[in-house]
Amino acid sequence: MAEGLKKRFGDFEALVGVDFVVPEGALVALLGPNGAGKTTTIRILTTLLRADAGRATVSGFDVATQPQLVRAAIGLTGQYAAVDEDLTGRENLVLVGRLCRMSKRAAQERAAVLLEVFQLVDAADRRLRTYSGGMRRRLDLAGSLMFAPEVLFLDEPTTGLDPRSRLDLWDVIVELKDAGTTIVLTTQYLEEADQLADTISVIDEGRIIAEGTADELKDRIGGDVLDLRVHDRAQLDLAVTTLTREFGASESDVTVDRDLGTVVVPIAQGSDSLVTAIRMLDGAGIGIDDLSLRRPSLDDVFLHLTGHAAETRVGAKKRRARIPAGGG
Amino acid sequence: MTTLAPERVGTPARRAALPPARVIADIALLAQRNLIKSVRMPMYIVFSTIQPFMQLVLFVFVFGSIADIGPGMSYRNYVVPAVLVQTMTFAGMGSGVGIARDLDTGMIDRFRSLPIARSAFLVGRTSSDSLRLGVQATLLVVAAMLMGFRFGNGALPAFGMFVIVVMFGLALTTFSAWMGLTVRDPETVQAAMFIPVIPLVFTSSAFAPISRLPGWMQPFAEWSPVTAAIDSARGLALGDEVLYQVNQVHLHTALWHFLLWWVVIVVVFTALAVRRYRLGS
Repeated sequence: MAEGLKKRFGDFEALVGVDFVVPEGALVALLGPNGAGKTTTIRILTTLLRADAGRATVSGFDVATQPQLVRAAIGLTGQYAAVDEDLTGRENLVLVGRLCRMSKRAAQERAAVLLEVFQLVDAADRRLRTYSGGMRRRLDLAGSLMFAPEVLFLDEPTTGLDPRSRLDLWDVIVELKDAGTTIVLTTQYLEEADQLADTISVIDEGRIIAEGTADELKDRIGGDVLDLRVHDRAQLDLAVTTLTREFGASESDVTVDRDLGTVVVPIAQGSDSLVTAIRMLDGAGIGIDDLSLRRPSLDDVFLHLTGHAAETRVGAKKRRARIPAGGG
Repeated sequence: MTTLAPERVGTPARRAALPPARVIADIALLAQRNLIKSVRMPMYIVFSTIQPFMQLVLFVFVFGSIADIGPGMSYRNYVVPAVLVQTMTFAGMGSGVGIARDLDTGMIDRFRSLPIARSAFLVGRTSSDSLRLGVQATLLVVAAMLMGFRFGNGALPAFGMFVIVVMFGLALTTFSAWMGLTVRDPETVQAAMFIPVIPLVFTSSAFAPISRLPGWMQPFAEWSPVTAAIDSARGLALGDEVLYQVNQVHLHTALWHFLLWWVVIVVVFTALAVRRYRLGS
């Protein structure tokens, strides 16, 4: 779908080279922190932005040379609900439908169906100023579905939503996928990618750094991870040395949070490792508040791949001024 | 659930086709959207109409009592076409604010991601704004007539004046559209447009004959598009003789200048605005 996409904004290299393929009917998540290049990628694929280099096709159409055909094949729901404040929910949908060449009647019928699916019937004829954030997002998504696009782009569809609205939206996305729609979803929430996507492309600093199913990505870490919180933070370094020596992990794979006093160590699988760990730590005289053995989360994967956590990274937001609808 | 993904409506190739009828329909849909929005902001309409009314009162009754424009013409008749053109100028500037707001809310991205003609958004905006300008010009002419303004040149030229002032406002909407797409922030657009527009309006034959302006200002005023528009409107409303008597310019000269300016402004700023729109950010 995308090959070697590059994009530069002034001095800022937003995309260094993005490649990925989305099989028909699949849901691919583009996972990465703010500023990784997610939104830029989506904007190029949806013809809103031209790439400086590289090539991309959507539904068989080239985004650079056949943009009009691409636009006729896709639906896009951005990070900020692109809906008209002064129109009612129904009017918003009918407008989009008619601009997509539906007859007035077909657009009205389709709008009625979608308003019901997205639980907006009661608010359908109210102007949007009275809508909550979640309602706007749902309406925005409904707008992208007026003509059942072949490929649906969802750019951080749940960012800023409350947990309840997020779960509702997840249900809708799963339904769409089950109905055969190809979906490209960007997210900075690892859990979201884990729950929804067939495959995940991890993007960071303008390039795809890993690809695979959630399980494949987790397997990259190896077996399980050991989660430890020491009682006395002064003993943190001692704990790290003890555990890495015992489990043969390299120091670079170990994550330490000095504020919380926690250590995460990847270890080869084995249920007796917990016992071993306790024995070793006790032997070294290290007090333990908490110790557990678990499957790695995508957070661990991200940390492992990039050396920094996914959700806490800041910066690279400067170009927001140039792309108001962007951010990822 | 089958409701979410129904049978596809047409093929991408069919949806992507842009026959002229489709382009016109898209323009009409987008213009209609803008008009619905205007009608739903009644206070905006009320205020933007009251303001020029007050200007009329100021110029007709307050300045009209002291200004002497020379024999054969009252200041009232002299200044009404100028207030009309000025109102159209400021009203045309509203376009850019609306466009910047659409950028801000993501509506432009929404439209740009739909398979509609690239020109439809801007032409739709200009069309609905022209209608808005027409309504405002009509209201203002009626008010002016209630205050004693009279057309002295017959019905057809009077209608011509109407066309000229709305056309001028339309040219300003293209400038304003480009500003809106360039500056991008609704509040800043308004302020930014005043900087070139205010001096242009005052450095013209709007409120005093050019011969009475300071010497250094006169060349600017003579070649100003605002002078061309206002003198064209004056000539059409009041007659060529009256125009020549006060401003020493003939109607056909003013019209020539006006049309030339109009084409230049519309072509240049439409091209710039469309380019901005296509490029996105």
